[in-house]
Order: sequence, then structure tokens, then C-alpha cells
Amino acid sequence: MKDINEDIAWAKINTDVLKSLENPRKLYWVILAVAIAMIAVAVGCETYQYQMGMGVANMNNPHVWGLYIATFIFWIGMSHSGTLLSAILHLMHADWRKPIYRFAEAMTTFSLMTAGLFVMVHLGRLWQFYYSLPYPNERGLWPNFQSPLLWDAMAIFTYLSSSILFLYVGMIPDLAICRDNIHSGWRKKLYTALSLGWEGTDRQWRNFRVTYLTIACFLIPLAVSVHSIVASDFAMSQQPGWHVTSFPPYFVAGALYSGCAAIITLFIILRYVFRFEEYMTLSILKKTVRLTFAISMVWTYLNAVEFASVWYSHDVASKAVLIQKATGTYAPFWWMMIFCGSVVPLILAFKRFQTNIPVLLAVSLLLNLGMWLERWMIVAPTYSHGYYPWTWDHDQWPSFVQWGIVFGSFGWFTLLFMLFCKIFPSVSMYEVKEMVYHRTLAKKNLGSAKGAH
Amino acid sequence: MIAGNAISDRAKDFPKNFAKGFVMMDSSFDRRDFLKVLGWGGATVALTGCGFTSVEDGKETVVSYVEATDFMVPSIGVYYNSTCAQCDAGCSINGRVREGRVLKLEGNPASAINRGKLCGLGQAGVQHHYNPDRVREPLLRNGEKGEAITWEKAYALIAEKLQGVSGEEIAFLTGAMSGHTKVLLENYLASFGCKNHFAYEAIAPGVVRAANKKAYGVAMPRFNISKAKLVLSFGADFLGSWVSPVHFSQQYGQFRKGADGQRGVLVQVESKMTLTGANADRWLVVRPGTEGILALGLVNALGTASGDVAAAVKDYDRARVSKDTGVSVEQIDKLVALLKSHSPSLVLAGSAAEGYAHGSQNAAAINLLNQVLGNVGKTVVGPVSVPFPQMSPVVGNTAALANVSDALDAGKYKVMFSCGVNPVFSAPTAMKFQEHFAKVGFKVAFAHYLDETALQADLVLPLDSALEDWGTSVPEYMAGDDAQINIQQPLMERLHANTRGFGDILLALLKQRNPESYKNYTDYYAYLRGAVLQNKNALGGSGADDDEFWDASLSNGIFKLAGSVANLSGSISAGSLSLPNAPVADAQYPLHLIPSVNANLRDGRNANQPWLQESPDPLTTIVWDSWVEIHPKKAAELGIVEGDIVEVAGKNGSIKAQAYLFPGIHPDAISVPLGRGHEAMGRYAKGFGVNPFHILDAVFDKETGELAMHETRVKVSKTGQRVIVVKDEGAAGGKQMGKKIAVRLNTDHVDLSKEV
Amino acid sequence: MSVSNLLENWAEFRHTHPVDDVPHDPYKWAMSIDLDACTGCNACSVACYAENNLPVVGKEKFLHGQSMHWMRIERYWDEDGRDFPDQGAQFLPMMCQQCEAAPCETVCPVGATNHTPDGLNSQIYNRCVGSRYCSANCPFKVRYFNWYDYPTTDNVWPAEMSQQLNPDVTVRGKGVMEKCTFCVQRLTSAKNTAKNEGRIVHDGEVQTACQQACPPGAISFGNLVDADSKVFKQWKAQHVEIAEFEQAKDRGEQDNKLRGYRILEELRSYPSVMYLERVRETAV
Repeated sequence: MKDINEDIAWAKINTDVLKSLENPRKLYWVILAVAIAMIAVAVGCETYQYQMGMGVANMNNPHVWGLYIATFIFWIGMSHSGTLLSAILHLMHADWRKPIYRFAEAMTTFSLMTAGLFVMVHLGRLWQFYYSLPYPNERGLWPNFQSPLLWDAMAIFTYLSSSILFLYVGMIPDLAICRDNIHSGWRKKLYTALSLGWEGTDRQWRNFRVTYLTIACFLIPLAVSVHSIVASDFAMSQQPGWHVTSFPPYFVAGALYSGCAAIITLFIILRYVFRFEEYMTLSILKKTVRLTFAISMVWTYLNAVEFASVWYSHDVASKAVLIQKATGTYAPFWWMMIFCGSVVPLILAFKRFQTNIPVLLAVSLLLNLGMWLERWMIVAPTYSHGYYPWTWDHDQWPSFVQWGIVFGSFGWFTLLFMLFCKIFPSVSMYEVKEMVYHRTLAKKNLGSAKGAH
Repeated sequence: MIAGNAISDRAKDFPKNFAKGFVMMDSSFDRRDFLKVLGWGGATVALTGCGFTSVEDGKETVVSYVEATDFMVPSIGVYYNSTCAQCDAGCSINGRVREGRVLKLEGNPASAINRGKLCGLGQAGVQHHYNPDRVREPLLRNGEKGEAITWEKAYALIAEKLQGVSGEEIAFLTGAMSGHTKVLLENYLASFGCKNHFAYEAIAPGVVRAANKKAYGVAMPRFNISKAKLVLSFGADFLGSWVSPVHFSQQYGQFRKGADGQRGVLVQVESKMTLTGANADRWLVVRPGTEGILALGLVNALGTASGDVAAAVKDYDRARVSKDTGVSVEQIDKLVALLKSHSPSLVLAGSAAEGYAHGSQNAAAINLLNQVLGNVGKTVVGPVSVPFPQMSPVVGNTAALANVSDALDAGKYKVMFSCGVNPVFSAPTAMKFQEHFAKVGFKVAFAHYLDETALQADLVLPLDSALEDWGTSVPEYMAGDDAQINIQQPLMERLHANTRGFGDILLALLKQRNPESYKNYTDYYAYLRGAVLQNKNALGGSGADDDEFWDASLSNGIFKLAGSVANLSGSISAGSLSLPNAPVADAQYPLHLIPSVNANLRDGRNANQPWLQESPDPLTTIVWDSWVEIHPKKAAELGIVEGDIVEVAGKNGSIKAQAYLFPGIHPDAISVPLGRGHEAMGRYAKGFGVNPFHILDAVFDKETGELAMHETRVKVSKTGQRVIVVKDEGAAGGKQMGKKIAVRLNTDHVDLSKEV
Repeated sequence: MSVSNLLENWAEFRHTHPVDDVPHDPYKWAMSIDLDACTGCNACSVACYAENNLPVVGKEKFLHGQSMHWMRIERYWDEDGRDFPDQGAQFLPMMCQQCEAAPCETVCPVGATNHTPDGLNSQIYNRCVGSRYCSANCPFKVRYFNWYDYPTTDNVWPAEMSQQLNPDVTVRGKGVMEKCTFCVQRLTSAKNTAKNEGRIVHDGEVQTACQQACPPGAISFGNLVDADSKVFKQWKAQHVEIAEFEQAKDRGEQDNKLRGYRILEELRSYPSVMYLERVRETAV
């Protein structure tokens, strides 16, 4: 089975993709409205929290971090899928990535933008957040370079700017196509400006390839380091359940995992909404699903490694946290995480489900639920069962404020993504053409070979 | 250093340096000017800037900080000595004042009672003073409301109501009283020929006083805890709320170190663990009411008694005692061995022992044990008494409440004054005090807050806080070798312009009766100063200049006098000792209700001080609410878990509160803390918790007539509601989960003599 | 403001191990608490509220675990399954242990919590952004966060109550972390006085609020550098070394007659508070 049908004419590709930029359907507006409403909920909650103090989120001593940090890690994790698809697979010449990497990259950028907000929301004194940046000042006050939280801030900023650059650079030839096919209005101006005078000359293509490859190479270690640093927030601390050496790879695996799951979800949605059946084919979906399955098993393995290393370390406190996770207040969520993260993906091993769209949609959502729970299960149980038993478990159930902001973050992400889809081509036209081009050439070669007979 | 009653921050530690420092207090410092300035003389300066001063109407002038008086230089703390009024122990306090505001209270190291230490209750004295719910104007009842009136009108009204009323028809209900206010009060009552002064304290060792009087000849001997090698306490919570807890705690610190490295051993016998019980080396749980039986059993087992004592205890063999009290024979043997080896010891009878109908017998049995052990004269010694009987304390008790309630019921009084007590809150409903109180024609309440009793009054007179008022007092428990008279002086200017000191009001009322004798005293301050100076020779100031002596006295905060030491009676007699058998189970009301006394909240008069509400109960760590302590076994039997709202029902009503499973209580008993459950008294007290005073049965000690607080029987049932108990303790429930946090070791593993 | 300034700061930023690289001189504040004398009466805790302007948060916030008691008294029961706790309860006053290698200090993104030259773990309210990482990493959970803006919250410091506030101590607004300071305002004042006279602070010259109130005198506080101080003598007598994570007692030396220990010492945060074990009589 071929990834896409090679008979598609280049012009048709342009028309099909550019059509997705045109008049939105009613459903689009509905989704947009829902997304904005969700953001409104979050903004309301945040305003309330800003006015009253963090207490309204129902955090306490010792439970000082809540869903904000968990969701922050979740969104950072999501961002890894784009890099995986566009950069890693690009280097590995996995051509099937071509029709779907664009939106995956957009997802990277937007989930990072969402994650960054959670850092802000989490701060007790949001209005002083700039203290954590190394900006020049008269008093020679620097942030604390020993703090993993500062590494975090730096890594995220770097990663965000690099991903935006990567997304943009990869989009330049497509922006030129847009410029050439749209003849008036603000779009024309926008595409003209953004396509940087792309003409498609040999020299431009050569420079483009080199640039794109360089950024891709740069981005891969960055992506790995970002999530390793997020893992350091925990691994560098002294708390039982956090102070785990295997956390960085575990976090990276978790990140790729949730990213892939999210790609499946968005794949299915875009395929349906924009009628991209010809480009986002079941064959590609199947490959994505297989990749997801593989990562899910890696994640499961690393999970087991973590449990085993805690268990055999004979560190009483860490062990107690592990037992608490499995049997205590958080047990339902923890087992749900195991179920969603390690049991549900087993479905993906069966061939007949690998292309079954309703099943895949449900599974991908469950996987992401599992991955969100994973982050929460990293943050919360350590607080409720730390070194100091006197302070164990007060009432730490997150209040509506925390839930509202977490809920709203999905609206924010949706909004950004929806806007992106209507302004920029969410399928890479020039790269899909490459796939078609190769086939045409091969056919021609085949034909000539036949003629030779 | 000159006679400064105001010494600065620095000066407190380095008096020598002080004179050189930038805060100069030269020897021409004039106390009278100082008083004038702070508003204790005539004209005053607005120091607090809190409004309600007479600056606006030109009676006062504002003094700029640029030329401020030396004792109120901005940012320099000044210390004044005074006396704590949060309970009756009479600890001396040292208040830090800055820019005219009192900020913090410390203990005065010169006092033999607290030696520079102060408990949480005492610390919260500033919250009594700054309490936003204080009464600020005299209030006259107008229907259901109080109408603000002037003091002139209030005094005139009292005079009018007292017109043609005989001395027998007037009653004055107060708490414990001593010093010059007591003198003035008695003079006032004497002017009517009135003998109806009732001193009521809801929680007082009334029975123990009587038993001590019988056994030792004095109501309150001195207990030398620090000299005892073993303290055996029968329910005396001397580290928490009993008699003079700061003094005892301070002694306890020494007792644990031991003079010669031999650490003192504490054994506590009670049915509900108190703070003292929680600190005991051995906490012995006994069946409620059988403390006396155990004491007699120990006397018997010691085998040293003879004569009528031996005869009185011969029936109390170990097997019977063990059966009655629930204390094992083995434990009794150990205790006896320890009593023999650790001499001198000290045996204390506390509120848990005295709270029964046979409380006097219990206390007598416990005192007998002390006598038999030969502790009298060693760890129980004669107290020093102040040579001025007129000033010596009138101690409060609950028998007084019963008396006054009966007399009110009989309609004996037309005018009644109440000061410093809140019987509507603290009297059992069964005594119908509120109903009886309503029969009085004119009720005057002297009050800091609108508490339950003040709300029933016809006229409420707002009092100065203890940190604004002048006074003297004589502690009931005289801790030191010298007799001590405590001085109370204002630590800052009156916060509210229209409150008055109790002494000032009494003086004004006395002037109505007897203008000639008191005309020389413009106010209570003048009276007090006059009184002190008149007698300065006896107070240790012979030959001193009046002003200097007065200033020095205020600076010290106490008068120390060579008082006479009372001799304790040496005779040991089992006299009329007859203890009832162990109580039988009551089918309808199977559980004993033990109303517990929390060191901070006591009888509830301080419940509106938020630090105390938020200070966790030491044993349960619960805050801001009441609870029902129940043994986990009993709870399992009744299907109760922590947080269940349970109904505690007795013969005289019921209360509903959250259950707390507590291992330190006899399974046949439950305990509810006193002090919470106010229906008035302001934002920090009203509506928090329940009031177990109200469901107490009106059972009295047979000899003294004191309310038997522990005699109430109740039943407990679930209501079906459940709450989360608000407490400091986390989910681990006071377990250390294998971690080395609070560690304990046995005596044989320690050598205290080598420690610093 | 330069990179050299950054590098300088970086080099001097923290000690990984106490005392060795920069010895404390002339002060190292430390405490010792005799659990055999402590009665659990809470006087220290109330004194701390009075001295350090701690807000009373009220019932509802206490329920949510948002209480602000810098000094808390913990009460432990025996875990031997007997029906009655017949050797009493165990009380433990717990406040910031002023660790020498404090886990909270390294993680603060803005460097709002630092080690002072006299061995205190200081908290700079103005610099704090409220990330709460310090509290997350504190093994003792003795850091308290301002979940609400207490100065403007009803009934925390209503009109007259606010007059009690200690002007020497900041009133903290929402969003900052706070904790026990060893009454640093008293220490500073005493140090200044001593400096003016060209000497160091004598033992007993300065007391913390909790120490001053403590009725049985269970708390000692002083300068561990000063060989004449009571605290120094106590630590010495108990063979507790500030820069060790295993003491003579743990090694079973001195015939096991020692009772000084530090809590969670194995985490190597090197606390400045030594506790003396509670003693219980075995003969009864």
C-alpha cells in the first residue's frame, strides 16, 4: 500500500490545500466560539486568583504545586511530537511524515505557548515574574543559576523560538504558493511579506535545504534537553518520588508519547474537517499509530524501571510514596494512568484497529488523558506523602480555579491551532509534491523501460 | 540608671550603655510629667492616633515627634512592668511599647511566679486589649438594644436605682479579687451594709482548697515540684491550667533536669489525658471517680501507716483497688516501689479528682497519701501570706454561683452588679441561672465585651482593658519565699475614650456614698498612689522620696515583702474519710462526660482572642471548634469515625460536635473541651464550637457545695453528618512512620549530670 | 553589571557543604531544644505570632492547610498498638531548621532565599516571586506561603488589632513565602549594639521570642562560634557536629548516653537545630 496516491496532479494539491484556507464552515465557527468561551473561563479564574491570592486554587502547605505544574509538563510534552515528526523523521528520510508534519510543528509551537502560560499562572507574584529572567540591571542581581526552574525558563524560551523559526522556515515555499494563488486582500500582503521573495530558484532551494537541515539538527538535542530539564525540576529536588535518576528519559518518552497521541487526534480531525483524505491517508495513519505503539511500550518500560529502581533502592521514603500512589488517596488516578498509558495502547498492536478511525480517536484521547494523569501523579503524591509525616495530606483537592484554568488552556490551544489552519497551509504542499513527483518519475522510468522492450 | 519605669530596648540588656546611648533619660526625668503626657494624669497627648481623642475639641494638644519625650522616640521600644490579667495566677509581665502602642508581652524576670516566662494565654493579652469587639460606651438597655449613654448618666442611674434599696437587696458577683479594687469594692458594699459579694470562678480548685485546709491547715500550700523526685498527680493539670501553670512549668523544667542529675519522675492518674498527663513518664488511666480509691490503695500498699489511717485503708488491698480503678496490680506495685525509692515525692489532687459528688473525699484521700509519704514540710510547704489581710485574695468558686442562683430565685435582690464573670455562659442550664438572673430589677454588668451575661444586663459599663488600667493584686498561689503584691499599670493610653477602669468606677460610686472620705482622690490612680505612699515603709520604701519610691515601684512591677510563713499542720488523720464504691454503670447514660479544661481557653473568657482560637489544642491539635474525645475502642463499638457529628445527650440537654478518636481517655468516658460555644462576645468567639457547661448536671460536692463537674453521665449517638476535623495533625495521625523525628529514650540510657 | 560580576556571584553563590569553604565568624546562630522539658503548651507558638506578625487565618483556611504557624507543636503517639498511650505523648516544636546546606536555597529561581554569613537561612520577601519551589524541596515543610493577602483580609488585623503589629517585622502580602527567621530583627538589633561597642553579642543577650516565652525553658539559643555560649556547650556535650551527617550517637559512641540529634540528618541538609531526646522512666 502506498502512502498516498501518486496520480495527484500538482495543481490539484495546491487547490486542495489552499481550499482549506478559504471560507470556514459553520462547524469551524462553532469550534472557535467554544474555544473562546473556554478561554474566558480560564481568564475569569486567573483574574480571581490574581486578585485574591493563590489560596483560591486550594493549594496549601505542603501541597504547594498543583495542576498548574502538572499541566505545564503535559503541554511541554505535547510539543515534542512536532520535533519528532519534522526533525527526527526528516533526518531519517521517513517520507510518510511529509503530509502531516506541518500541523505537528504548529502543535509544538502552540503547546509551548500554552505551557509558558502555566508558569505564569503558577507564580504567586505574577507581576514580578521578570525577576526570574537574567536581565541586565544596575544592582547586579542575577537569578539563581542553580535552580532547575531557571534552566526551565531558559530552555523553554530557546525551544519556543527555535520551533517558531523551524515552522516558519519550513513553510516559506508554501507561503510563496499562497502568495501566487491569492490575488488580493490582507492575505496577499501577509504572504508576500512572509515568503521573503521566494522564487523557487535553484540557489534558493539549495540554501533552503541547508538551513532547514541545520535547524532540524539543532532542534533535536534541544527537544531532548527541554524535557530533561523539566524532569530536573523534580529529579534535582530532594523529595521522595521525585529524586529519581531515570526521570529525564522517562519524561522524554512520556513527552513523545503524548505528542504522538495528540497527532493521531488532530490527524483524524483535520482529515475529516478539511477533507484531506487524499493526503492524510490511512497508510500514513497506520505508520503513526505503529510509532505511537512503540513509544508507549518504551514509556511502559521506563515506568517499570522507575518502580523497580525505587523498590530496590530501599529508600523508605520513596518506597512509601510509590505504595501511596498505588493504594492511597490517588490510587484511582494512578491506576487509571497505568490503564490509559500501558493497557489501552495494546489495542494499537492489532492491525484491524490501526486504521479504524473511531477506535483510534477514542484511544488517542485516552492516551492523552493517561499522560496528563501521569504528570499529576508525579506532582501530587510526593506532596501528600513526603519526608515529614506530620504534614501529610490536608485537603488538597484542586479547586474550580485550577480546573478552570486547565480547561481553558485547551481552549487556548484550540484557538491558536484553528487560526493557524485558516491562515497557513496545514499540509506541506511542496513536500507532498515531492512524494508525487517521485512516483511520476518512477512511472515514467517504468514506461521507458517497457518501451525498450 | 535612674528610676525608670520606662527602659528602652537596649537598656533592658545593657543598663550601663544605656545612659551613654542616644536615648537619654537624664535624672531630671519627671514621672508626673510623664503621666500627664500619657494621659494618666490630667491633660493628655494623643499617642495612639486611633481617633476618639479630645484633640479635636482642643482639650489636648498634639506633640510632634521631632521634640518627642525621651520615652517615646520613634523606633525605640520601651518596656513597662505590669501584671497579667488573663488568668488569676498573677504572672508579672513586661510589655514592649513603641510609639505609644503596646506590642508584645514578655514575662518579668523579677517575679517569683513566672520568672520571665509567659504562657500563650498571657501572650494573647494584647488581643484582649486590641480586641475589635470591645464595648466602647456605657450602654443602657432599650428594649432589645443597648443605647449609648454618658458616664454621668450611668452614674446617676445607678444612684437612682440604689435609692431606698437596702444592703440585703444588693448583690455583687465577681471573679476572684484582691488588692485595692477588692478594698474599694468591700468599702462600697459596706456603705450599704451589704454582705452579698459572691466570688465565682467557673473553673476553680474549690474542693481541693477545702481538703488542703483540712489536711495542711492552709488552702493553698506551696508545692515544690522542682525539689520532688517523684510527682504523683491525680488529675492536676499543673502544666496546663491548674492554679499557676507558668510557675509550675518553670519548676517542671528544673524537676526534669534534677538538682543532682536525678531526673524527676512524673506519674499522672486520670481518666482523660491532660497536657500534664501527656508529659508523664507513666499515665495511668483510672475509672472516672476512683482516684481516691487508688490513693488509699497506695497508702495501704506502702504499709507505713498506723493507727486510724491504717484502719481506714485496710480494706483497700491491691486486688480490690485494681478491680475498682482498672489499674493493674503490677502497676500498683511498681508505683509503690517508686514512691519508696524516690523521696521526697509530691502528690497533687487536681480537678479530675475533685469533680465528683465525693470530690472532697477523693481529695482528702490523696492528701492523706502525701502526708503518709512524709512530703509535708518537704515538697508541700507553708505559703507566705501578705501582711495586709484586707488586700489578700477572695478566691472564686462554683459554690458561690449556686448560692447566688438560689438567692436570685428567691427574688432577694433588686439590684445586681456583675464584673469579670459570665455565668450565663458558664452555669449549667440545670441551675437555671439565666431565668433567676432575669428576676433582678436592675442588672449592671461591668464588661469588656458584650458577652452572654452583659447581654442580659440593663446597664453595661465598659471597662478599660487590663493593659490600660491601674491596680494591685495579690496572687492566691504565692510562689516565692517573699510575699508579693503585683502592680498593674497602663502600658498605653486608653484605646477608647469612654472606657473606665474598674477602680475608677468603684471610686466614683463610693463618692456617691461617701464623698468626704474619697474627695482627695481625683481618680483611682491618685487613690492607688496615695495608698502606696501612705504605707511605703511597709512596702520597703522607708526613707525614700515619695516620687522616687513610686517610680521605682512601678519600674519593678511588684512589691516584695517579708511575709509570714504559715505553718502546716503535722497531724495525719483519716478522720471522716469514707469513699463510695466504684460507680456502677448507668444503663441509660452509660458514659461519663469529662469537661476538659484547655490551657488557653479555660472557662471561655478568652475565647475571642484569635491567637488562642488558632493555637491548636496540644493533644488533639484541633482549632476553632469543639470536639468530642472518644476512645478508639468505644468509637468502634458505636461505629463512630473521626469527624462524625455526634450528639452528646445527658439529663439536662444535649450538644452536637465532631468526634475525635483519642487514645488518652477511659473507654467509659468522653470528653468535650470547655471554653468554646459562645453565642455572643464578638466575631472571634461567637458561633465556634459548643458549650458543654450547659449540659452539666447540677450535682454538687457533698461537703463544699462545689459543682461536681465530672458527675454528668451521657450517651453518645451518631447524627449521620460528618465533617472534616480542622486540625494541625496530618493524615498520618501523629505517627512518625518509621522516621526519626521525635525520639525518646529510657532513663538508664542517659546521664543528665553530664549535660549542660 | 557584567559577565565577570555574574561569574563572581556564581562562584560565591552557595556552599555545598557547611562551614568548610566559608567558616562562620563571628556568629553562627543555632538552637537546641530539650524535648524532655518541652511540655507542648504552645506558648512559643503564640509568642511567635505576637513577635513576627503572623496572620490568624481562621477556621476555613486552616482546614485547607493554609495556616501560618512558623512554629508548630507536633504531637506524636507511640506506635506500639497498646490501648492507651501510657507513656504520654511526644511533643516536638518544629520550625525552620536553618539548614547549613539548605535544600530550599539551591532551587529558588530568583535567589530569594539565601544563607547569611551568620548561618541563617534568610528569606527576602521583596525578591520572592512565589514559585514555591523552596517549600516543595523543604524536607520539614516549615515554609509557609501567603496564599491570600492577609493584611487586607477581613478580621485578620481589623482596625485596633493592627496596632499590635511589630514595626520591626514586615507584614507580608500575598504571594510570598515566609518562615521562621530565628527572630532576625532581634539578632540584628543585638549585633548592632555589640558592634557599636566593639565586641560580639554575649550569650543570653539576645533571645528568640519562643525561647523567651517557653515556661519550662526547653529552648536554648545562641552563637555556636562562641565557646562560652550555652548552645555551644550543649552541642559539644552531645557530640553533635554541625558539619556531620552522622553523629557520635549514631555510631554508638559515648556509651550511648547521648541524647542530642538532628531531624532527618541523613538528608545532609545540616540543620542548625539540635533536639535532645525525651527521656522516660522505665521503673514505673
